[in-house]
Amino acid sequence: MICRKCDAPATILIRKEYWYCNTCFITNTNHKFRACLGRSKTLSPNEKVLICLSDSTSSMVLLDLVQNSISLNGTKKLRVIPFFLHIIETATEDSIRTAKLIIEQCNKYNLDIYIVDINEYYSTNNILPDINVLPQTKSETLNNMRMNVSATIYDDVIVKIKRTLFLRIASELSCKIIFTAETTTQLAKRLLTNLAIGRGSQVENDIGFADQRDKSIKILRPMKDISNEEIEYFLKVKQISKIQNSSNTKIGLQSVVDNFVLDLQKNYPATVSTVCKTADKLGSAENTTETQNCTLCQSNITFKSSKLTAVEATIFSRQMCTNKAGVNDKIEVMQSITEDKNPMFPSIYKTLCYGCSRNFSELDSYL
Amino acid sequence: MPVPCATGCGRNASLKRPKTGDALCKECFFWAFETEIHFTITRGELFNRGDSVAVAASGGKDSTVLAHVLKTLNERYNYGLNLILLSIDEGITGYRDDSLETVMQNSADYVMPLKILSYKDLYGWTMDEIVAQIGRKNNCTFCGVFRRQALDRGAALLNVKCIATGHNADDIAETVLMNVLRGDIARLKRCTAISTGSEGTIPRVKPLKYSYEKEIVMYAHYKKLVYFSTECVFAPNAYRGHARALLKDLEKIRPTCIMDIIYSGETMSVKEEVTLPTQRTCSRCNFVSSQEVCKACVLLEGLNKGLPKLGIGKSSKAKRMLEEYNAKQNDSLQEAISEINDEFKKNNCISKGKVCKSNCKSKENKHSTTDLNTVDANTNSCEQVHSNEVTDDNKETKCCNKKQYCTNKKTNETNESNSKAEKLLAEYGIPESSDKPNSIEETNSSQDKVCEIDVSNSVDNEEFDVDLHTNDEVILKEEDNTCAGACGKVDSLHIGF
Repeated sequence: MICRKCDAPATILIRKEYWYCNTCFITNTNHKFRACLGRSKTLSPNEKVLICLSDSTSSMVLLDLVQNSISLNGTKKLRVIPFFLHIIETATEDSIRTAKLIIEQCNKYNLDIYIVDINEYYSTNNILPDINVLPQTKSETLNNMRMNVSATIYDDVIVKIKRTLFLRIASELSCKIIFTAETTTQLAKRLLTNLAIGRGSQVENDIGFADQRDKSIKILRPMKDISNEEIEYFLKVKQISKIQNSSNTKIGLQSVVDNFVLDLQKNYPATVSTVCKTADKLGSAENTTETQNCTLCQSNITFKSSKLTAVEATIFSRQMCTNKAGVNDKIEVMQSITEDKNPMFPSIYKTLCYGCSRNFSELDSYL
Repeated sequence: MPVPCATGCGRNASLKRPKTGDALCKECFFWAFETEIHFTITRGELFNRGDSVAVAASGGKDSTVLAHVLKTLNERYNYGLNLILLSIDEGITGYRDDSLETVMQNSADYVMPLKILSYKDLYGWTMDEIVAQIGRKNNCTFCGVFRRQALDRGAALLNVKCIATGHNADDIAETVLMNVLRGDIARLKRCTAISTGSEGTIPRVKPLKYSYEKEIVMYAHYKKLVYFSTECVFAPNAYRGHARALLKDLEKIRPTCIMDIIYSGETMSVKEEVTLPTQRTCSRCNFVSSQEVCKACVLLEGLNKGLPKLGIGKSSKAKRMLEEYNAKQNDSLQEAISEINDEFKKNNCISKGKVCKSNCKSKENKHSTTDLNTVDANTNSCEQVHSNEVTDDNKETKCCNKKQYCTNKKTNETNESNSKAEKLLAEYGIPESSDKPNSIEETNSSQDKVCEIDVSNSVDNEEFDVDLHTNDEVILKEEDNTCAGACGKVDSLHIGF
């Protein structure tokens, strides 16, 4: 087989369909990254950008892509001032090893990196540490939470906490732009997960190219056109060491979705990109003139219609289970949902969105 | 120890509600189930006083429960509705002919008039004849498209204000997932609406939108409603099956996710700049269509011209095929037809290799379905294959997408229907009077019942035979295994309190 770009012998097969040689493949991946940024026209020259790495393999690629494009010359150079950040999610050996690996890789490129412990979420001071230093773990709060709540909720909350930390550190560094390393595959999974936990209206910000929920800082996803398959090849060709993912032992909705997408991908390779394209076309049925945001995820929680939704139907079902048959058939939903001692949706529409309210009902002591 | 009903009515609970997890007695469950539908109807403003309403009836559990509950509520709350049952006879031997008997029984039981429309009368073809033409693949496209329109025609004929369909919460959540996977924005937008229909068309409403499928089965079972639970005899297409399998897996981990997905669907919207197909009327038959000529007319044209594949795939393809057909009128007609059909096959396979892949896939599936014995024992695996290609909103289509294993024997059918309800009872039922001291034993006593019932009319269900041979002590130790056998689910802990 020969490469579809040049006539050299091909070495890489993408989606069981497209052959590339090593050189053309790397060029192509770099191009996808740049095209994604270029198309959006959100970057101005010499913009300060916080580049957020994580436990996923794709962050190693993001690091390489950024390093590569800022070291180019002439018109192709990516004109940004990058700051690198890695958040340690758990205090396991695996994640310490990952952090060391990332520091090492940054040093290779002659770049500095901030390493932050996720429990800093609870601290009220400035949290920016010294560069290239592993932080001391101070608190066990999130680890306790991991033991005590369902995997679905834990995974979801961690995503929100990391997002909050990204924004806090970006503002401490006065960056207006953040890059994160989600791939098409990860975003497709996140879309399905979002649907499954009632965050359908947040798809635009959670899966699209830009998360614009914060008024002053934008979170961009410049790797959204690159798939996990390509990530694997990229690391192999560039001989970058892979991050060993510590697998979560508890099964949540996220891992069900993961397996599902992985399975479907084998027989229907177009599914992932179809799902992501769908996400690009979705917005939310929110009221845009009068906005109020969720205190945990900053999503808009004011909806214009007073139509019947699953919230009322669920609350009503719970109500029916506390009434004797034949006694009460009033079809009023309790007005003061918040005054209920054991509410199904604490603070919903007041300070929390549907998804966060569901989470909150299980873990209020951890937030 | 008996569990008291959560409402405090003083009776012992006999089931755990799949939707909320509360333990309720039968009476309180009936009351809650019915009142919730009343809530949906009232808050969703589905009906107006004095309306004539067609209840789309297939004889299956959803439409049977719908008809029963609507009748009950109509009397209890004095809706003043005139309810009429509307059935479509697709002409599928061994399936629809039997289910129509159930509908007739319902009609007599509930004193509701019944109107049956047949494909044969409306289109000149029965599904049996269509399948003979098109083969086992894509036939659900015909069935679904025709039924959608047939319901509209029936409703127009009966002069009703709206059609009530039996779509339940699971169906809607499944459709949301499927439309995302297929990237079908237009359907995604409307699939969670409780009432659909543009101007000039007869709206369809879904009173069971917030009712869990499991609760519908339990309601039907405890109320001893007569329903027909055979699955359609024609082979499935694979796509809806994926969404269904995903939903089942998600539900096992978090039962509320069905409502969560519906909420997601309700609160998201399509961005304004995205162009969607506009609804208009078909220039031939004047029913709703997104194209100049509606799908039903295209499919029918194909059948009548001997080009059964005409409406399968993109409409541009159909246009090209028709042009060729007309151009070749001069040649020997028969030759031309076979030529065009061959061409279609080739085109479909070559284009990017994608269609071909999925074709091969569905062929594999078909082979696996023919192995009757392996399939029968495990409903989970069966359900993964339920599917539907085109008519996602059309609930009744579901029934024609299921496995063909039910064709051969009626005994198998009844066995299948019982076991579905029994499985639910094994998981959610609470034995009413139990003297045994610990909960594990309770669990088993309910499962023993299940086994007895099942074995009594089960011939080839190996799993249950195994259970019968084991004695109580073994079951006690291997509680998980028992449940895995009896209901195919791992979380047997749900039953023990």
